[in-house]
Amino acid sequence: MLSFILRRVLGMLPTLLVISAVCFLVIKLQPGSFTDQYLEDPRFTRETAAAISRQLGLDQPPVAQYFHWLGGVLTRFDFGYSFLQNRPVVTVIGELLGWTVFIALLTLLLSWVIAVPLGIYTAFNRHSASSQVIGVLGYLGLAIPDFLAALLIVAVVLRLGGTNVGGLFSPKYIDAPWSWARVLDLLNHLWIPVVAVGLEGVAGLMRQMRASMLDVLGQDYVRTARAKGAPQRRVIWRHAVRNAINPLISLAGLSLPTLISGTIIISIVLNLPTIGPLLYDSLVNKDQYMALTLLMFSAALLLLGNLLADIALAWADPRVRYS
Amino acid sequence: MTTLAAPEAKSASTLSMAWRRYRKSRLGVLGGWVLAALYLTALFAGFLSPYSITTQHQGHEYQPPSRLHLVGKGGLSWPFVYGTRESRDPVTFARKSVDDPSVQLPVRLLVRGEPYRFFGLQSDLHLFGVPLAQGGSPQVFYFPFGTDQLGRDLLSRTLVGGQVSLTVGLIGVVISFAIGILMGGISGYYGGLTDTLIQRLIEVLLSFPRLPILLALSTLIPPRWPSTWVYLGIVAVLALIGWAGLARVLRGQVLTLRSLDYVSAAQAIGARDLRIILRHITPNLSSFLLVTATLALPGFVLGESALSFLGLGIKEPMTSWGLLLADARREGFQTLNLYPWLLLPGLFLVITILAFNFFGDALRDAADTQTRL
Amino acid sequence: MRPIRLPARQKSALSALVCSTLALSLSASAAPKKVSGYESLGVTAGKTGGGATLILGDSPQSLNYYGAIDNNLGLISQQLFDGLVEFNYATYKLEPALAESWTVSADGKTYTFKLRQGVKWSDGEPFTADDVVFTYEQIIENPEARAGDAATFTQNGKKVNFEAVDKNTVRVTLQKPTPAFLLQMRNFIMPKHKLIKFSVEGGAKAADLNNAWPTNVAPAEVVGTGPFKLNSYTAGQKVSLVRNPNSWKVDAKGTKLPYLDTLDFLIIRDPQAQVAQFLAGNVDQLNITGAQFPDLKQKEVAGAPFKVVRSTALFGSPPFVAFNFDAKDAALAKLFSNLKFRVAAQSALNRNRLIETVYNGLAGLPGHGVAPANKEFYVNTKGSLGSFDLAAAGAALDALGLKDTDGNGVRNLPGGKDLEISLTYGTDSSVYPAIATIIQNDFKAVGIKVNLQGILVKNLLSTGLSGNFEMILHAFGDQPDPELRRPIWQPGGALYYWHRSLQSATDGAAPNIAKMFPWEKEIYSIFETAAVTPDRAQRKALYTRWQLLFAHNLPVIPLLKPENIGAVSNKYGNYVYNLGVIPGYNPVPLIYQK
Repeated sequence: MLSFILRRVLGMLPTLLVISAVCFLVIKLQPGSFTDQYLEDPRFTRETAAAISRQLGLDQPPVAQYFHWLGGVLTRFDFGYSFLQNRPVVTVIGELLGWTVFIALLTLLLSWVIAVPLGIYTAFNRHSASSQVIGVLGYLGLAIPDFLAALLIVAVVLRLGGTNVGGLFSPKYIDAPWSWARVLDLLNHLWIPVVAVGLEGVAGLMRQMRASMLDVLGQDYVRTARAKGAPQRRVIWRHAVRNAINPLISLAGLSLPTLISGTIIISIVLNLPTIGPLLYDSLVNKDQYMALTLLMFSAALLLLGNLLADIALAWADPRVRYS
Repeated sequence: MTTLAAPEAKSASTLSMAWRRYRKSRLGVLGGWVLAALYLTALFAGFLSPYSITTQHQGHEYQPPSRLHLVGKGGLSWPFVYGTRESRDPVTFARKSVDDPSVQLPVRLLVRGEPYRFFGLQSDLHLFGVPLAQGGSPQVFYFPFGTDQLGRDLLSRTLVGGQVSLTVGLIGVVISFAIGILMGGISGYYGGLTDTLIQRLIEVLLSFPRLPILLALSTLIPPRWPSTWVYLGIVAVLALIGWAGLARVLRGQVLTLRSLDYVSAAQAIGARDLRIILRHITPNLSSFLLVTATLALPGFVLGESALSFLGLGIKEPMTSWGLLLADARREGFQTLNLYPWLLLPGLFLVITILAFNFFGDALRDAADTQTRL
Repeated sequence: MRPIRLPARQKSALSALVCSTLALSLSASAAPKKVSGYESLGVTAGKTGGGATLILGDSPQSLNYYGAIDNNLGLISQQLFDGLVEFNYATYKLEPALAESWTVSADGKTYTFKLRQGVKWSDGEPFTADDVVFTYEQIIENPEARAGDAATFTQNGKKVNFEAVDKNTVRVTLQKPTPAFLLQMRNFIMPKHKLIKFSVEGGAKAADLNNAWPTNVAPAEVVGTGPFKLNSYTAGQKVSLVRNPNSWKVDAKGTKLPYLDTLDFLIIRDPQAQVAQFLAGNVDQLNITGAQFPDLKQKEVAGAPFKVVRSTALFGSPPFVAFNFDAKDAALAKLFSNLKFRVAAQSALNRNRLIETVYNGLAGLPGHGVAPANKEFYVNTKGSLGSFDLAAAGAALDALGLKDTDGNGVRNLPGGKDLEISLTYGTDSSVYPAIATIIQNDFKAVGIKVNLQGILVKNLLSTGLSGNFEMILHAFGDQPDPELRRPIWQPGGALYYWHRSLQSATDGAAPNIAKMFPWEKEIYSIFETAAVTPDRAQRKALYTRWQLLFAHNLPVIPLLKPENIGAVSNKYGNYVYNLGVIPGYNPVPLIYQK
């Protein structure tokens, strides 16, 4: 198994390399330059622009810039400096990574906890009124753009006199030490983004669960189990659900990159300290190493997610072998 | 002859069985009808909308939806609207629109109004509207959905915006499926080095985070392009990202089909490869493709709205549901408190996505020949 | 649209008469500055204590004011640091800050500043002339400092010389008389004892200065003389300040300023999220637009615990439209260069409708380069604004020979091409899209087809400077002194982008005077002369002439001047509208919690 993982990880490297080159190309193809954003400031002269370009190595040809970055990554694990913040990219990302992962995992968890049982339920009651209602509600989550959902939730909270309308904490708890009150305050704020983003994923997962459940129910071994006279509950849980959940494991692996991209809009709208807005800013401002590193990070997460999913799958389903 | 009739009868019965299964899902059927209605509305948007989407009715900014009245002074009458008086609160500067019962005008069917183009034809016939005022008398408008900040009719904007939002999906799906089928087909059919290369490419494409790369690519669309081009650019961007997942699944399907007898037979009689892929393999996947396409469409529609929200999508003077919603959301709480009707395009968006999903689910169930519960 | 502008680059400058009258009248012992005389702004004696929470539009990129050009950093820095001089809140005249007094030599080339005695940095170190000299010579004049201002402090190719005469005296020697020089003395003074290790003097490389005080620096390192000092920064969420025990301002009664014990900045990017946080009471003050006014005012009237305050402040950005005199299309360039066309275009601009529709009536008619609220320099040019008159516009276009020859509703250029103009505007703004759409609509009525080209607001200026536009909707902020806006309004200036062919190839070189229109030449020489004219009345006369030329010749067509609107929680008193980063204009120390 170890050799399998090793081989897969090694196999990722060329892919990542290609991705990094393409991402860099896309970033470089965009018109304008990093210093454009400062033009309006009267302190900013052409000399300053030239000085900044020199400091940042932007006066080098793009290919040289790319290989310089790549060299840093390969030899020193140095992902470059953020132009905007004048700090190593890794430090800037590190500051926000904790909350990003926390929020993303929570929303994923919420989607799963809601979607899997509902998927199973609707598979068994395909045309019942209740599963149609569930379907409508699930798809409603998918259909309402998250920025709108957040606006509506916040408006309702405001009308009810709440103060938890954005951010992760009330102002006084932001830099307070951890305490029960702080945890409660966090939970009080957290449910809005988690619900707004989490519900979006429910419909897709639910549909997948329902479909694979239906697939499995049609399989011979389930029929056999039924024919044997195994109790319905046992048939469902031991035979059907266990097998039906396998495709979802792969899906879970694919959803790892949403750690970054899934929260861009909602983080802007609800003012969350996550990586999402950072990526948006770096792309718009041409903070190239930041953008490149984040895109790479996201790609690596996806590849990693795939790998993890494969391992988990092999563990959950004995028929799958490392190959 | 009888030997030929048999498979037809069989396929007919498969179809009718599928139809029966489709009919079983009431929501799916409803979704199908809703979609048909939406696309028809989009097609005839110019005729159905009472005004042009760019006409600014000065003095009627942020006017709430006009109410249609049936009971007038003389009892029941043909539906009519009142004139309105606009004013501004001296303290809060909020706009107020008050009905003016002294002015009543009937809403007529098939009235002449502003010209629009329909398949290259110029017309000024609108399904309904308040005819232009004759000499001196004040012009009265009928705004079923109210107006926006500039006094433009929101119903017209919603209907015409639907043209963009609904076709973004269709064109996008067509492009991404064309690429996906070709690449997936080639990859699965030929195998070997071609397969490996294409699989690598797909892997790379799939590894890109969706929204960020969408952002990156959409900033590449030159801002100086006219809005129609921007529209096409956005569709292309959405499609370029969308095909990889499909190609991967297709390859698997093709791999299985390749070993089937009739494909081997076609190969044996010397059919060209592309022909085999397109004529023999693809049709076998049609139900799968149809279902996948239906379910992929909402992604394009939502993708457009996300881009418009970030200011990188459709631009004035074109409009789309995403843009209308982004406008409404930019005004944020004012919209909710003062001009809630601006959220109506959102309702259309939501209904469309719901309809696509139910329709797609029902199609899938219909195409699924295995499960019988 | 965040209309924050900093003092303009200047190679020369402005009167020192004010200064000499103030000079040398104060005692030599520890002398706090008394902040008084603002009854007209509603300022009363407050009480000490409490705290307030304000908004920051994004995370600061650094905590070193000279290390990054960043509005959010500016907003924080304004509370942490002071300049030698600052603006009066009511009159916008310069008055003493860290400098207690100053004198100007007869030839106008030597400024001598007496520093306020007994001022201490927030860590207790004494503030001395060395800090001032260090700040200017090692930081501001350092060309590698990203937010330095080396160009302004270079005259005739030489750096302006700063010299510590004694502990409390700084002498500045200029190459040429520069009356406006005092405006440049608003730059924040930095602590030498903390930053020397990042300077060339301390043995570091010139560019290392940019690495000082990154956002994860220990708060105790960030030392200033301002009303507050840094307490903590939580990445992406909050900047927290506390009262600087060593602050040197007092109110009329002698109570130490600031009144507030703490000042927090919540980082909230999205304007709607800002409103939500304000409504929820998590934030105590909010700057809003005319579009947001009715909703919030209705809430105030309904008893919400805040006030919405309108003020016709001087600062703020009035939008304008500019036609590109050097448009790529030669026929258009020729047309745009024709004053008659610009006048016709002006009569097709419905200012009243823009004010009414886009700003809910909360805007006024614009000045030409100078805000109407600027009592010092504004001259009434409203008569030249003309009135919205589509018939007159049409007639004027007819007279220019622009007639609709092919009957498609769009006028034709002499070559037969349709008169189509693309209008570049910002899409992610609450006002630009509506303004652009209204202009498009009205121009259509006079037979000019306007194609809208939306870009991100942050790209507007770079698009303008690249010359890649035909007609643009943009805004520059107003400042108290026209000299500060010279790069914008002086033909050939770095930001005078609607006539780019006048700009010189390199910074500081003379512009292409030969290509200027006669009126541009006159404006050019007005700015040149005013920059070295010490007499206040003469300067005013010069700038009056400029405004009249502007209004008559329309290098750009100003549309309107938005009112400044702020909402503030009822918990606070002494609220004076504060646009944002205007170095030397910081009324926050006066705010007190009731």
